Amino acid sequence: MLTEQGYIKAKSVEEAFVNANNHLDGFRYVAGGTDVIVNKFQGNEDAQILIDISGIEELKHIKIKEDYIEIGALTKLDDLKKHNIISDRFPSLIEAAEAVASPVIRKTATIGGNILCENRCTFYNQSEWWRSAAGYCLKCNGDICIATGGKNNCLSKFVSDTAIVLISIDAKIEVSDHQQTSIIPIESIYSGDGVNSRNLSKTALLKSILISNTEEYQTIYKKLRQRETIDFGSLMTAVSLNNEKVKIVLGGVDPKPIVVEGNIEDDLNELILQATKKARTVDNDVYSRKYRKEMIAVFLKRSLQELKLM
Amino acid sequence: MKQLNIKINGKQFHLMVKEHEMLSTVIREKAGLTGTKIGCEQGSCGACTVLINNEAVLSCISPALRYENAEITTIEALAKDGVLHKLQKKFVEKGAIQCGFCTPGMVLTALSLTPSLNLEDGMEVLTRQVKEGLSGNLCRCTGYKKVIDAVVEYAIESSESIEEDVEPLSSSVAVGVSRPYIEAEKKVKGAAEYADDIVMKNTLHCKLLRSKYPHAKIVEIDTSEALKLDGVHYIATGKELPITFGVLPISQDETAMAVDKVRYVGEVVAAVAADSEGIAGEACKLIKITYKQLQPFLNIDESLNDVGENERIHDTGKFNNNIHKKAELRFGDQQKGLTEADVTTKMSFEFLGINHGFTEPHAATAFWDENGLTITTATQVPHYLHRALAKVMEVPLSRVRVIKPYLGGGFGGKSDPFPHEMIVSHLARKTGRPVRVRLSREEVFITNHGRHPSKMSVEMGVSLNGEFKALDADIAIDGGAYGSFGVVTSYYNGVLLQAPYKLDNFGFRAFRVNTNKPQCGAMRGHGAVNSRFAVESIIDDLAMKINIDPCKLRLQNFLTSNTQTVGQYRITSNGSREALLKVMEQSEWDKKIGTLESGHGLGVACGFFISGSALPIIWNELPQSVVHLKLDFDGRVLVTSGSSDIGQGSDTMLAIIVAEVLGISMDKIFVLAADTLLTPVDFGSYSSRVTFMAGNAAKDAAENLKKEIIEAIVKAKGVDAEELSFSDSRVFSFDKAVDLSWMETVDILTAKRGAVSVSGKYISPKLGGDFKGAGAGLSPSYTFGACIAEVKVDIETGQVKVMNVWGAHDCGKAINPMAVEGQLEGSWHMGVGQAISEQMKYYKGLLLNNNFLDYKIPTSLDTPDIHANIIETIDPEGPFGAKEAGEGAIHPVIPAIANAVFNAVGVRITKLPINAEDVLAQIRDHQISNNK
Ligand SMILES: Cc1cc2nc3c(=O)[nH]c(=O)nc-3n(C[C@H](O)[C@H](O)[C@H](O)COP(=O)(O)OP(=O)(O)OC[C@H]3O[C@@H](n4cnc5c(N)ncnc54)[C@H](O)[C@@H]3O)c2cc1C
Ligand code: FES
Ligand code: FES
Repeated sequence: MLTEQGYIKAKSVEEAFVNANNHLDGFRYVAGGTDVIVNKFQGNEDAQILIDISGIEELKHIKIKEDYIEIGALTKLDDLKKHNIISDRFPSLIEAAEAVASPVIRKTATIGGNILCENRCTFYNQSEWWRSAAGYCLKCNGDICIATGGKNNCLSKFVSDTAIVLISIDAKIEVSDHQQTSIIPIESIYSGDGVNSRNLSKTALLKSILISNTEEYQTIYKKLRQRETIDFGSLMTAVSLNNEKVKIVLGGVDPKPIVVEGNIEDDLNELILQATKKARTVDNDVYSRKYRKEMIAVFLKRSLQELKLM
Repeated sequence: MKQLNIKINGKQFHLMVKEHEMLSTVIREKAGLTGTKIGCEQGSCGACTVLINNEAVLSCISPALRYENAEITTIEALAKDGVLHKLQKKFVEKGAIQCGFCTPGMVLTALSLTPSLNLEDGMEVLTRQVKEGLSGNLCRCTGYKKVIDAVVEYAIESSESIEEDVEPLSSSVAVGVSRPYIEAEKKVKGAAEYADDIVMKNTLHCKLLRSKYPHAKIVEIDTSEALKLDGVHYIATGKELPITFGVLPISQDETAMAVDKVRYVGEVVAAVAADSEGIAGEACKLIKITYKQLQPFLNIDESLNDVGENERIHDTGKFNNNIHKKAELRFGDQQKGLTEADVTTKMSFEFLGINHGFTEPHAATAFWDENGLTITTATQVPHYLHRALAKVMEVPLSRVRVIKPYLGGGFGGKSDPFPHEMIVSHLARKTGRPVRVRLSREEVFITNHGRHPSKMSVEMGVSLNGEFKALDADIAIDGGAYGSFGVVTSYYNGVLLQAPYKLDNFGFRAFRVNTNKPQCGAMRGHGAVNSRFAVESIIDDLAMKINIDPCKLRLQNFLTSNTQTVGQYRITSNGSREALLKVMEQSEWDKKIGTLESGHGLGVACGFFISGSALPIIWNELPQSVVHLKLDFDGRVLVTSGSSDIGQGSDTMLAIIVAEVLGISMDKIFVLAADTLLTPVDFGSYSSRVTFMAGNAAKDAAENLKKEIIEAIVKAKGVDAEELSFSDSRVFSFDKAVDLSWMETVDILTAKRGAVSVSGKYISPKLGGDFKGAGAGLSPSYTFGACIAEVKVDIETGQVKVMNVWGAHDCGKAINPMAVEGQLEGSWHMGVGQAISEQMKYYKGLLLNNNFLDYKIPTSLDTPDIHANIIETIDPEGPFGAKEAGEGAIHPVIPAIANAVFNAVGVRITKLPINAEDVLAQIRDHQISNNK
């Protein structure tokens, strides 16, 4: 028997934890809800208890400290650009945020939700009826991956636009799960497993994002998609340059962000090759695996050229 | 359930809502504010946008309980004290409203957008910001152009606080003056009721259970568990409604629900009527169906072949395959023509299916009372639905009434009688209560009836001096599981190629096959869009080969006015030449062509379409259209017509024509349309027939009324009939001896007689040859047009961006130029979609991209700058010279884009949509061969 549906509005981080712990068997945090609710409509999200965290004021701040900038997880994507320091220092973060969904959605969607939005696949992001007709895949408790025909691995694609830029600028996140709060690099939360794509504990709350205010980054962000708006990326790249360090981050081509680091002295083509090789891309998108793989190099070369490294 | 306290439009509501209910249903169903529309329920169309504390929010993905104590503004609150908000006014004035379904969301999004617009940096920047800001709001009708214009103007004017004075429209001239649709205000206020907005009391809700198999026998249906569910009133299955229907008399091959086998994934197998949609949905899950799977046939090639031991999709037809129809016509001698040609080109093409993508999902409510059945439904063809319902329900025609409310777009996708319409009618009869249904966006996609996936091989020959010698087309189209308009589509694929160019040797063969997929039917530009693409691409290639400019080659081959095609189409007015010259001039073709750098290209193509099918779908002797006018003591002319305004503006067109003939202002006219009980038969909104046919009937009716008026005045005043003029809402003689106001005129007319009713009609002249198949594509008039497109191709990614479309369309005479422009802009936008991003993709018979996120209709940012030109040729038989403008314009734009890609990078597009991957692969092949 399913528990009754519930909708709980948490007013503080504490309240969110208490409620989460009370409903450990079936809850989901809802920030903007622009990802959760669509997944729910399609039957992929079945939590009976929705804990709405969008009213938690303590997670809406943007603090500019001397050595870092702290962005509250509930900051709306649309609001990021209103902060001059962020738009001046990290224009590519704004670009990535503005590349998410549509303008109206960005007024509701949060940066925290974007970092944690669910992986996607052509065969998974379908209605309950559709999936039952096609046969459930690994990501919805079935036993075969439709995209590859394989039985072991789900390779649903990682889609967050802002996360890859944040990773490229070595951002960290503050995560708290009632017992403890830790500050960790963003990339460390992605598991690489298409089914459970985050390493976070069930009740963990993402509180804020921390970006260095002292390091100087130059980042180029690019997104491949069919339309200029709304569409999720079929490939996203972020390439940053910080002193001598080059960091390449890919999204949309693997269950987790692909990260390759190097130095301007390195053979950059070799880095591109590494990144391309690392991406476990499958045919689960409007563009074919082959094309997305090919575009990795094109996008990265262009980015490196824009950074005047090639 | 929880209590929600919420202020909507200033009014406090205390509502009980379900824990996971969305704000959209609270607004629509609990607060009854149906101006907020539902187009997708997945955050991808913007129709449901509302304002919360002045910020735009998509109500379909916003949990209602989040908004405890919030202040919501819906479209209904924008007009204050009956006066439209300035932005609403702009939408109306600019013609930014067609079907109006996207309008509430569009207006609210625009409103929340304007404060943040930067007005300092010029028009280009401003326009770009508006396009960006509206980019999550899909519009399928307008091509966004007039919407963007409206918002930009509003932004500028509200910053300068100009009190703009709109010039009142001159009252005596009606035809040829741009004006908003008569119902535009109602739409912009969110007051226009669409099928799903109409709520009757005591209504049951219907949900449909659909097949999960493409091809399977139904062994058993067990509804016993479902029937036990509290709130379930009736469950219907196929056996109860065994009578077949279909829009064409020759393809009555569909039943309301599958009877003993299913033919596509998504076919309806059972239907539940229950107290709520939720219960009906739950009940569907409890129905157990046992199937025996059959070999499915999922593509053209499979279906052309002999099926061997396997079961065919339909057991009709002589051969053991799934061919539904073969259409073949030949004129002249193609072989000879091709041999005589100096240069020939033969190419093969492949096209995927395209969906109409109208923003309003299908919805209907049916009930029975002492008058029989009444159904209010989103349909383009009340008349054919009327007939189909009488047949399937087994009642006389006199016991069926079909009402079309406001319609959120059709484009051909609401022009068949549909299973859900039969089903709710049946459920309403069985339960004795009204029953309503609305389809989800996914259901709309699988209901389909869109453009046929097609494969074709086309060959043309030309002489070195540029004379077309022959055209031969071999075509196969994938009809999906049922017939729909498919027989007509099969012919149109071929016959509509016999113009706009003079061709003495012309022929085609077209096969339509059935496959186990949702059926295909008519969609804007019906039948000839894909084959036109093929021909225009080949002409481009021939032009290259004989080294003649592709525009000049076309100009050289156009048919003239007042001529006949090889297949005996009577061509009267013909604006091909003017159209092409116009776009050449506007795009600076001569200056630019051949000078653009690699990756940048221009392409041209032309088009040809019917202006109304001269023959009725169901053979009978009714006129194609009848319009009634009634003039009573109050001076208002009531126009009644069976024609369906689906957002294209036909109600307004009727009013304009009547106003013009009678010389009265538009406010004296009331249009009542598309109610099969109250309005005389019009065959419906398909084949681009309404302006020509219903327009002519309206004109005829108005002239008849004028005659009555003249007769009465002659009698009363003793003037000569020839002396009388009708203008400026007055009737007067040249010498002004008689000079009557409209009311005085009406008094004279109605004295001792009362209301006067007259009728007008349109009957197409006898046309065409007397060979078999001669009727296909016959029309009392034809339209012509041309497009030039400009593209940029990224040679490293293969991505194509359409920069500009210059288009011109010969519509005879623009009765309402603003509406014609709207049709053209919308057509070209839709064509851009088919060219660059739209396609229906299947996985084992399941439609993969069944929502607005994955089915990629161009957004405001993807739509190029569109430059619309109206060409007027004054058709001898059209009302005031008018011809169609709703469909024909789409033909040239798609090949123009593909030809521009060729011009840019030397890649010939033979598959749609243009795929970056293929373009890239070909660019590389090219480079390799060039380097050799
Ligand atoms: C039409 C459409 C197009 C879209 N296009 C894009 C796109 O191009 N790119 C893209 O990246 N996304 C896209 N999205 C998805 C989504 O809108 C964004 O990812 C958005 O940023 C999610 O933010 P949210 O606040 O709405 O997240 P929610 O939906 O509220 O949450 C997403 C996930 O994060 C969890 N979560 C959220 N906040 C926290 C927190 N503080 N602590 C712990 N867990 C949390 C939730 O439990 C949930 O699992 C699209 C969505 C739609 C409907
Ligand atoms: S109905 Fe809400 S976005 Fe489409
Ligand atoms: S007017 Fe925009 S969808 Fe019809």
